[in-house]
Amino acid sequence: MNTSDPQPTMDRRSFLRTSAVLTTGLAALAASLKPLLEIKDLPTMEQFLQKYYKELTPAEMAKVLNRIADEVEKEYGLRPHVRDLKPMDGVEYVYCLNLTRCIGCRKCVHACVAENNQSRNPEIQYIRVLRLPHGSLDIEKAEHNYHPESVPEKGFFYMPVQCQQCKNPPCVKVCPVHATWQEKDGITVIDYDWCIGCRYCEAACPYWARRFNFTKPGIPKERLNPEMSYLGNRPRRQGVMEKCHFCIQRTRAGRYPACLEVCPAGARKFGNILDPNSEVSYILKNKRVFIQLKEEMGTSPRFFYYFDV
Amino acid sequence: MNSPTRTPQTLVVLGVVFAGLALNFLLGSPNPSAPPRIPLVDTNFLDTSTVRRSYADLARAKEDLSDFDCYVCHEKGKAPTLRFDTNQNLIIPKEHADVVMGHGSHGRNNNCFNCHNETNLEFLQSRDGRQLKFSDSPQLCGSCHGPTYRDWEAGVHGRITGYWKRDLGEFQRKQCVNCHNPHSPRFPGRPPAPGPHPLHWNGTEAGESPAHPHS
Ligand code: HEC
Ligand code: HEC
Ligand code: HEC
Ligand code: HEC
Repeated sequence: MNTSDPQPTMDRRSFLRTSAVLTTGLAALAASLKPLLEIKDLPTMEQFLQKYYKELTPAEMAKVLNRIADEVEKEYGLRPHVRDLKPMDGVEYVYCLNLTRCIGCRKCVHACVAENNQSRNPEIQYIRVLRLPHGSLDIEKAEHNYHPESVPEKGFFYMPVQCQQCKNPPCVKVCPVHATWQEKDGITVIDYDWCIGCRYCEAACPYWARRFNFTKPGIPKERLNPEMSYLGNRPRRQGVMEKCHFCIQRTRAGRYPACLEVCPAGARKFGNILDPNSEVSYILKNKRVFIQLKEEMGTSPRFFYYFDV
Repeated sequence: MNSPTRTPQTLVVLGVVFAGLALNFLLGSPNPSAPPRIPLVDTNFLDTSTVRRSYADLARAKEDLSDFDCYVCHEKGKAPTLRFDTNQNLIIPKEHADVVMGHGSHGRNNNCFNCHNETNLEFLQSRDGRQLKFSDSPQLCGSCHGPTYRDWEAGVHGRITGYWKRDLGEFQRKQCVNCHNPHSPRFPGRPPAPGPHPLHWNGTEAGESPAHPHS
C-alpha cells in the first residue's frame, strides 16, 4: 500500500515489523485480561445506582423487583415471584427449640438451603447442628462433624444453631453502610444490594451465624425456589453476606419457616410472642428451663432453647 | 522515540513480554477457581412428611385400610383371648406379626385392651372408658398422657404445619401416631442428612472446629 504513497513516513519493512509487534502485543494484552472475564457477578448499572432500601418508594421498589426477576430469569431460565414483604403490625417473632426432642438429623439444615436458595457449591448453610455430650452445655466443646449410621446417638444431645435474631444485635452496630438492620417484627435483615462485603458483621456475631459469598453462589436451576423476597431468599451475588432471616418470604406471608416444617421430631416452634395463644407464648409461660446462648453478652436473643421434662 | 532504531527494539521486547504473559494466562492456569464437587443432598431429606402414616391419613387418601378390618378374621361379639407365655409376656399371633409391642419400659402398656375395645374391635377405648374411632386416637393417648396431650393441643408437643397466622391460611396438626407407633411408641432412629462438607466450611479448609471459625 505504501508503494503508491509518494512520501512514505515509514518504510515498508519497519511498518510491517511494527504492526506485527503491535498486533501480537494487543492480542497478548487481551489474553492477559482474560481472568477478568471470569468475574461473572458484577453489579449492573441499575443495581449500582439503586437507592437505599428504606428510601425506595413503592413504585421504585416495583421496578427493582422487576429487575431482580429479569436477572433471575436470565440466569436460571425461570421467572420467579419476587416480593418485598413488610413486617406485620402487632407481630414480633420468637423461635423456641426443644433440646429434649431434637434428634440431630440435620433435615432442617438442608430444608433451609433449599428454601433459601443457598449456594450448594461452594456450600453455604445457615444452620449448624452441634452435638454435645449429655449433661454438658459447653458449646466450645461441641462437635458438628458427626456421622453415625443412625441418630440420635446414646449419650448425646443436639443443638442446632442459626441466627438468634438478637434484640440487641452486635452485627447491626458494626455495619459501616447500614446494609443490615433490625425490623420491627424482630428480624435482622440484609440488603444484598447495599452490602459491601467487609465482613465486620461476621466477626461481630457471637453465634457464627453470618455467611460470606466468597464466589458466585452455585445453585442448580432445578433446585431454585422461585418464591422469593427482596430481603430474603433471592439469589445473592459474590461478595455479600447472608444469614437466616426466619424465612421472611414464608413467615411474613403467615407461614411457618422451612426448618420447622421439615422437623420430624417437632422440636422447632415459631410464632408471634405478642399473641398470647401462640405456641411460643405457651412455651415461655409453661416450660421451665431456658437457655439463651451467650446471654451474658447482652445480645438478648429471640431464639430460646429449652429442655422439656 | 528519538532514535529511529530504538522504537522497533522496544516494541519487540514489549511484544515478547506480552506474548509470554498471554501464554501464561491461556495455558498456565486454565481455571484457577474451579470449585470442588459437592454432591447435592438426597431429596428424601427435604421431605416434610411424618415418620408414619395414621389411620386418618390412609382414610383421607382413600388407601388400603384392610389392616383395620378386624371382622374379616375375628368373630363379632367374641373378644379374642389374650395368651401369655410362662414369663407373663403376651404372645402375639402370627396374623399380627406387624404388631410389635414395646410400650413403656418393661412393656408396661402391652395389654391390647388398654387401648382396643374388647367387644368392638373396630373401636379404641380410652382409659376413662370413652369409645373412640381409629381416627380419634390422640384422645386415647391423651387419656394416659395428660400433660403431653395438653402440650399437643397447644401445638407444642408434636408439630403443626402450614400457617402460623390462622386468618391467612390453613394449618395441619399431626397426630401422635404420625410420629409414634402406638404399639412401640419410642421415636425411631434415622440416618442423619450429610454434615457440612469438609471442603467447604465457610470458605476454609477441613478440620476446623465449629467453635473457632474466626481463629
Ligand atoms: C388377618 C386376620 C386378622 C385381622 C384382619 C385381625 N386379626 Fe386380630 N387376630 C387374628 C388371629 C388369628 C388372632 C389369634 C386368635 C384369636 O385370639 O382370635 C388374633 C388375635 C387378636 C388379639 C389377641 C392378641 C393376643 O396377643 O392374644 C387382639 C387384641 C386382636 N386380634 C385385635 C385385632 C384388631 C383390633 C383388629 C383390627 C384392627 C384385628 N385384630 C384384625 C387375626 C386377625
Ligand atoms: C393405658 C394407658 C396408656 C395409653 C392409652 C397410652 N400410653 Fe403411652 N405410655 C403408657 C405408659 C404406662 C408408659 C410408660 C411410662 C414409663 O415407663 O415411664 C407409656 C410410655 C409412652 C411413651 C414413651 C416411650 C416409651 O415407650 O417409654 C410414648 C412416646 C408413648 N407412651 C406414646 C403413646 C401414644 C402415642 C399413645 C396413643 C397411641 C399412648 N402412648 C397411649 C401408658 C399409655
Ligand atoms: C397404647 C394403645 C394400644 C395398645 C396397647 C395396642 N394397640 Fe393396637 N392400635 C392402637 C392404635 C391407636 C391403633 C391405630 C393407629 C393408627 O391410626 O395408625 C392401633 C392399630 C392396631 C391394628 C391395625 C393396624 C396395624 O398396625 O396392624 C391392629 C391389628 C392392632 N392395633 C392390634 C393390636 C394388638 C393385637 C395389640 C395387643 C398385642 C394392640 N393392638 C395393642 C393402639 C394400641
Ligand atoms: C411430630 C412428631 C410427634 C408427634 C405428633 C407427637 N410426638 Fe410424642 N414425641 C416425639 C418425639 C421426637 C419424642 C422424643 C423422643 C422419644 O422420647 O421417643 C416424643 C416423646 C413423647 C413421649 C415421651 C415423654 C417425653 O415427653 O419425652 C410421650 C409420652 C409422647 N411423646 C406422647 C405423645 C402423644 C400423646 C402425642 C399426641 C397427643 C404425641 N406424642 C405426638 C414426637 C412426636
